[in-house]
Amino acid sequence: MVVAIGTSTTDANQFRATVEFIGLQNYVRLFQDPAFLHALSNTVIIAALITVVPNALGLGIAILLDRAGWIFNALRAAFFVPIVLSSVVVSVTWGMILSDDGLLNSMLKNLGVADPPGWVSDPNLALYSIAGVICWQSLGVAVVLFLAGLQGIPRELLEAAEIDGAGRFARFRTVTWPLLAPVVTITVTLSLIGGFKVYDQVKVITNGGPGVGTTNTLAFDIVRYSVEAGQVGYGQAMATVMLAIIAFVSIFVLRALQRREVDL
Amino acid sequence: MTTIAPRRRRPIDRENSYGPIRVLVGVLIALIFSVPIYLVVVNVLKPSSAIFSNPAALPAPPTLENFISVLSRSDGLFWNGLINSTQITVLSVFATIILASNCAYYLARNTGRVTQVIVVLIVVGMMIPGASIIQPIIQILLSAGLIGTIPGLIIVNVAGAMPFAILVFMGFVRSIPIELEQAAAVDGAGPFRIFWQIVFPLMRPAVATVLIFTAVGVWNDFIMPLIVLGPGSGTTVTVGLYRSVSQYTSDYGAVFAFMVLATIPILLLFLFFQRYFVKGLIAGATKG
Repeated sequence: MVVAIGTSTTDANQFRATVEFIGLQNYVRLFQDPAFLHALSNTVIIAALITVVPNALGLGIAILLDRAGWIFNALRAAFFVPIVLSSVVVSVTWGMILSDDGLLNSMLKNLGVADPPGWVSDPNLALYSIAGVICWQSLGVAVVLFLAGLQGIPRELLEAAEIDGAGRFARFRTVTWPLLAPVVTITVTLSLIGGFKVYDQVKVITNGGPGVGTTNTLAFDIVRYSVEAGQVGYGQAMATVMLAIIAFVSIFVLRALQRREVDL
Repeated sequence: MTTIAPRRRRPIDRENSYGPIRVLVGVLIALIFSVPIYLVVVNVLKPSSAIFSNPAALPAPPTLENFISVLSRSDGLFWNGLINSTQITVLSVFATIILASNCAYYLARNTGRVTQVIVVLIVVGMMIPGASIIQPIIQILLSAGLIGTIPGLIIVNVAGAMPFAILVFMGFVRSIPIELEQAAAVDGAGPFRIFWQIVFPLMRPAVATVLIFTAVGVWNDFIMPLIVLGPGSGTTVTVGLYRSVSQYTSDYGAVFAFMVLATIPILLLFLFFQRYFVKGLIAGATKG
């Protein structure tokens, strides 16, 4: 049984390793390919945005809602809802809201905006629209994790700080924020990794467009090359680069963030 | 004589007396956040023609025609998807719970170098994105003759869900006192009997966490069913939703109805197991 699981995780790895050795020239091609570099930069932009925005907002909302009472329970529940929704459901909904003659633009026209922007059809905007959708979807997870982190902070410490005359902000800076460091480590690492994996939203909302490859991400291109276009070796070279980036980034970020965690 | 119990004052940040400003700000943010969900819920009850004239308005009068049109589609995209999704989710969850609980029990109770290596492998396995191993998966399924089949997809799902499930179960087994098992062993119970009759019944909360987490993940998965099942042999509701979008581009009402119907089963399950889901989220985050 154990061996079966051991191989279920390693088998795929070994397979990838053999592909790697066959196709070294794929890597040369990869880094000379402007389309790949473009996908890489798209991915980095998305990863950066969905790391910063949902976590910053999530922390703020968690602090705001970290209170007892039915009204706060209900408000917290409102932020949990997207967690259970499939990315496809989220993407389809937002796709209809953001499309050129979609719900948002219909509302804007009703309000008298003559020429509303093409949220997902303008090449300059589409990538940010997609990042925004993912931020909306992942906010709930950030709120849940930060709430759990806030509840794990011992009250005695906050009381002690209060007695010492620390105000609201000072208490946050000296007690809450340092003690939240482990949660920050987790959420930042998770969203960074998540950012490099983005596929569903791009596939559903823009399918890589508008035009050619304006919103394609690494994961999107990997599937496009290795499954849809049949360029297996090239696609797998991309996959390997993506894995290397994820491994490197997550180890680097974990190290950097763990250094500022304090022991209780 | 009345004794006055010393009232334990909680610090300001936990006090129940909250300012009206906090409530107001909270409600405002939650409302803005919920706009997309509101739009779906309102517009699914309107005929498509009425959606664009005023998307934010309440349906007057509400109609169920969107639901009826999805449920009575001639190609049965929704019903087939529902049957497939249910089948895939139930079997994947079942297999994951059985396999992962056994593995985790073994790993938790046998410490050693091999176990450590396996645990590290499992954690690494959790971090690998689906897109990057899709090609090896296809190759393996092809050589096993399982590509485009539901059993093939179930195997992929179980393999994908195993690492998280094993970690949750392992954490839980460690909290079960080993004396119980030792007593059973003294009474002559074999390892399988000890597991199924003593350990497994105690693991119920962990089972609930794995169940809801795996079920939500499998039900909502997009990339694996899209690629493993392919266009041939039917599909899941999630992929069905994606396919239906390209068909009725302007019939927003029908797409919204499809979406709501595809979400209801998993939403009900989620509401039932909500507590365990949040637990799983936190467990998954701290262990990943």
